[in-house]
Amino acid sequence: MRLEVRVFSGLEKYIPGARFGRSIEVERPEGITVAELVDSLGIPRSQVFTVLVNGRHAAMDAVLQPGDRVSLFPPVGGG
Amino acid sequence: MVSKFLRVNTTTGEVKFEEVPEKYLALGGRALTSQLVFDEVPPTCDPLGPYNKLVIAPGLLSGTNAPSSGRLSVGGKSPLTGGIKEANAGGIASQKLANLGIKAIILEGKPAGSDWYLLKVTPAGAELLPANDLAGKGTYEVTAVCRERYGNKVAVITIGPAGEMLMLAAGVTNNDSEGNSSRYAGRGGLGAVMGSKKIKAIVVDSPTTFDAPVKEPERFKAAARKFTQILQNHPVTGQGLPSYGTNVLMNIINEAGALPTRNFRFGRFDKASEVSGEKLAEVAVARGGKATHTCHPGCVMRCSNVYPMPDGKVCAPIEYETAWSFGPNLEIGDLDVIAKLNYICNDVGLDTIETGCTLGVLMEAGVIPFGDGEAAIKALEEVAKGTPLGRIIGSGSANAGRVYGVTRVPAVKGQGIPAYDPRACKGNGVTYATTPMGADHTAGYAVTANILKVGGYVDPLKPESQVELSRNLQIATAAVDSTGLCLFVAFAVLDNPEGLPTIVEMINAQYGLNLTPDDALNLGKQVLKLEREFNFKAGFTSADDRLPEFFSLEELPPHNVVFDVKEEELDQVFNF
Repeated sequence: MRLEVRVFSGLEKYIPGARFGRSIEVERPEGITVAELVDSLGIPRSQVFTVLVNGRHAAMDAVLQPGDRVSLFPPVGGG
Repeated sequence: MVSKFLRVNTTTGEVKFEEVPEKYLALGGRALTSQLVFDEVPPTCDPLGPYNKLVIAPGLLSGTNAPSSGRLSVGGKSPLTGGIKEANAGGIASQKLANLGIKAIILEGKPAGSDWYLLKVTPAGAELLPANDLAGKGTYEVTAVCRERYGNKVAVITIGPAGEMLMLAAGVTNNDSEGNSSRYAGRGGLGAVMGSKKIKAIVVDSPTTFDAPVKEPERFKAAARKFTQILQNHPVTGQGLPSYGTNVLMNIINEAGALPTRNFRFGRFDKASEVSGEKLAEVAVARGGKATHTCHPGCVMRCSNVYPMPDGKVCAPIEYETAWSFGPNLEIGDLDVIAKLNYICNDVGLDTIETGCTLGVLMEAGVIPFGDGEAAIKALEEVAKGTPLGRIIGSGSANAGRVYGVTRVPAVKGQGIPAYDPRACKGNGVTYATTPMGADHTAGYAVTANILKVGGYVDPLKPESQVELSRNLQIATAAVDSTGLCLFVAFAVLDNPEGLPTIVEMINAQYGLNLTPDDALNLGKQVLKLEREFNFKAGFTSADDRLPEFFSLEELPPHNVVFDVKEEELDQVFNF
């Protein structure tokens, strides 16, 4: 299935050619979890602090659906 | 050194130091400004008349070695909201005032003439000096002139032409260590209050920064060291903020669908990443600026930045709320345009959040087109000239809405709503509606639990539990705002049970007190109650604790949600 992945705030360094905010289209087997996706992208799980799937918080064991927009963040804050 | 109040009667020109009455000794920052305003300002007074006062106070821990403790509180009755106001700023003035033993400066009265004055404060005393030569000048020039005249280590608290012209969105600024006059107590129009007193600038000259008196130095040192570690060990205050600053929020708020775009019509902006902290860091570093920077000495979070602009000037910093207000809010996807608008606001003396909201309303009205950066810059340049359009821009979003017949006006109690849409970040919606300050994200920053997953998690799209979240944050914030600590310490404190006790330990060691964490929270409650009572006496009712109608009528994409926290629940926020 096709997924739309975005990485931010330094996580882009783990993916060759990635740029913050720019969508990366990936093909992954159905039933894959967030954690498995993160592993397959070569990003250490410890670096991922927040995962949004279609704009909603998701846990590492959440199962992804075809076409999901997955956004990965390290710790961020401000205000 | 005995701490004192510096009271300036602008009607008579009398300047005097007073012993601090016992009831104020354990107060600082917001607790002190709000208590003094409550005690001394008639709630029904004209905010720009002789009975209003401008109170400027360092926090309880300011001027010590406590990390990130140099915040300044500025209080008074707000001409924008008509209610009580505490606006909070970084910069170097707070630490210097505390080192001079000044617990608060109180500007009162109103001069009859048209002459401008400068208040000079040094270890030798304080005096009012003529300042007609500074009138009409932008804050950058005023600060540069004062640093040249009085030494480049002085802090300069000043207003721009907007404050002189008594515009309702005028702020009070002070400078960072490099002399950038960009550290604003921006919100609520307190710059107009200072302007009404005919005080153009306050110069604070202190030879020391970290030597405010501490009763038990060893105990204090241990607590301050522990608190530094708490900040450095938390992922947000230790890694997140020091890497990209506050504008790192742009992308996560956009991805969460809570980024107010095109005057609060959409929750995502397709060019968000182009105006994000990541992009800012990239451009700033490439042009010889800085991705991180401290707003005052001794800050360990370093969330500020230095952004060199194409015209050779420097905008330091561009904060998230400003990048939002002039970016997605106006559908502008160009950081250089945002920096220019930010710089003009800093120079002319306007609150950037309010000004962005106002430009959004003007775009809604068709006065200038959405997305047109050049038109926005041209319009904003009218403010310094005092033209009718300039005065409308300087008078805030609610007024602009009335003038141009716009009903989609994002404001509560007359103050513009900041960078998190209340429909997709409902905890913040509760804060905007109910805080005595008028729409203010810092008053109870529910973005923490709603989106950043700090201090627990409450689903931002559902109405449940938002009132309790906002209530607890508003109480904690009122307490933190009284310490002089930057509110961002809350990211670490919310997640670490040692956090609050360590803050209390620092205060106890400094003042020789025996407060408990419960006392600190009670102080927060007491501050909120005072502020609510002031507003009540000024004429506010629960009808003022509401969001604009369109938030409950218009669905916000991409989640297609409305604001649906019930009115009865909003009325329960202060049931303590």
